[in-house]
Amino acid sequence: MNVSIRSKNLRGAVLGLVPVLLATGCGNSGGGPSGDSSADTIANIGSDTMLQLAMAWSEAFKLAEPGVNVEVNGGGSGVGIAGLINGSVDLANSSRAFEEKEAADLRAKQGKEPLGVTVGFDALSIYVHKDNPLQELTLEQLAGIYSRDGAIRTWSDLGVKAIPGAQGDEIIAISRQNNSGTHHYFKEAVVGKKGVLRPDCVNQNGSADVVNLVATTPNAIGYSGMGYRTDAVRILKVAKRAGEAAILPSIASTLDKSYPIARPMFVYTAGEPAAHIKKYIDWILSEPGQSLLAENGYVPLPKQ
Amino acid sequence: MFTETLTGRKKQRHERVARMFFGLMTAAMVIPLLLIVGFVVFKGAPAMTWEFFSTNPRRGGTAGGIWPALVGTLYLILVSLCISAPIGVLAAVYLNEYAKENWFTRIVNLAVVNLAGVPSIVHGLFGLGAFVYALHFGKSILAAALTLAIMTLPVIIASTKEALASVPRSFREACWNVGASRWQTIWRIVLPNSISGILTGVILQVSRTAGETAPVMLTGVATFKAIEGGGLFLYDLREQCMALSMHLFYVRTQASGAPEELSYAIAATLLGVVLLVNTTAICFRVFLRARKKW
Repeated sequence: MNVSIRSKNLRGAVLGLVPVLLATGCGNSGGGPSGDSSADTIANIGSDTMLQLAMAWSEAFKLAEPGVNVEVNGGGSGVGIAGLINGSVDLANSSRAFEEKEAADLRAKQGKEPLGVTVGFDALSIYVHKDNPLQELTLEQLAGIYSRDGAIRTWSDLGVKAIPGAQGDEIIAISRQNNSGTHHYFKEAVVGKKGVLRPDCVNQNGSADVVNLVATTPNAIGYSGMGYRTDAVRILKVAKRAGEAAILPSIASTLDKSYPIARPMFVYTAGEPAAHIKKYIDWILSEPGQSLLAENGYVPLPKQ
Repeated sequence: MFTETLTGRKKQRHERVARMFFGLMTAAMVIPLLLIVGFVVFKGAPAMTWEFFSTNPRRGGTAGGIWPALVGTLYLILVSLCISAPIGVLAAVYLNEYAKENWFTRIVNLAVVNLAGVPSIVHGLFGLGAFVYALHFGKSILAAALTLAIMTLPVIIASTKEALASVPRSFREACWNVGASRWQTIWRIVLPNSISGILTGVILQVSRTAGETAPVMLTGVATFKAIEGGGLFLYDLREQCMALSMHLFYVRTQASGAPEELSYAIAATLLGVVLLVNTTAICFRVFLRARKKW
């Protein structure tokens, strides 16, 4: 008797679940009216340096153009470019140029040419702890710190006597993971194409990570975008070579090319972009899109 | 009359030591849990306003709320559960009630056990290859939910089998002896008596689904997706969504200028979702257990 009551309840429970399952099933197959607009979704993946900027663009563009969804992901410039090559990405953010080998891959896989647009600049800034008395470095000194064969391994090699709170004299060099466009650019601009970074660099996976680590490590040095500055760190002036004036990264010093380690940022499509992607790129290049660069600590394109 | 002997005293001493030791171990498990939850909630509390829960992230995730991420996590949980629960429970019923003990069943059982031990990032890569690329779902909620479902399936199968096996064999034998078929026995005797265990196992998997980052990051969760307005129906199943776990990862490692309490508030919300679901599971268990007849 008990058994039959219980099984009735069970049947009720199962029957109750059926509509729920059906409802989700319908949502799944039908997709609804919003499904038709999924053609206007832009998969936007790539550079971590540009991630926050890309999010700001996506957010503002939604207000300007409600019909287009921009889905933003980070991972690194290499991730975006790889996605473009295998077709899972519509628009790749990259803080470095397409390499010839990658362009060949894209041609081979999709028969399309990479089409890049410069959307702004990033002044790669050298960060130290706020208590570090050092003010400026030359590119040679930076290379000495970061290259495998470099001679600068301690702060006293740079003439820095004591950093308050630091344990030891050793320079802790912070770098980025190797699929990062920032890493690529820094290595080429500072250590040189053929050079090798010192193997004991502390690699971080994000632009903000680098700055956070510098903020808590008095004898560390790191590089990251200009926009990631906080009150716990300081940005060094950088000189092209000894004897020349050392320059602070800024919008002006990036545009007149006096700051030596600034680089362009790109968005890439595979071949000609579809109409809604073209619209998005045009919007990025227009005044509302460009104004977000300065707001987030990047350098907008020079006004014509 | 008993006199206390030397061995008797020794026994009592051992008893006390053992009791204290085991008690300490239990405390060692509970204290970190309380500390973690307390710490996260304490640090995140200043940011947890109604606006935080109900609005979209703004200014590159450094301001505003988490609504799209919260909804995205609920989508992933619901859709993956709708896939994994029926398949998992039915498979377990077959394995426990119908399957004969032969090489095939042994291989299936072995596969289930081994699948449960596969790291989630490997499931993510599988989902990327199978659902995103091979089946052309693209990066989408559907692909992410299927990946999560495959990840939780083996555990659901294992816990359901456990629950079914806990129904005494004599119940089944009694039922068969009055002429009931296997299906009648399962439907009227085995399932009603094991439903509490089955549901608990299924619902506990939700907490795992809610917290996973690696598999969904590869298959269907965007770091950021601009959402217009609010409401529950933000996403199409063929689009990507945001998720709490991914949002926490982003805010903590990539967003510059995000207030510290923001990441703790997101963590506390994630914990809240998991705790809510687990509490539901416990209530189910208590309610159904109370009606168990042995």
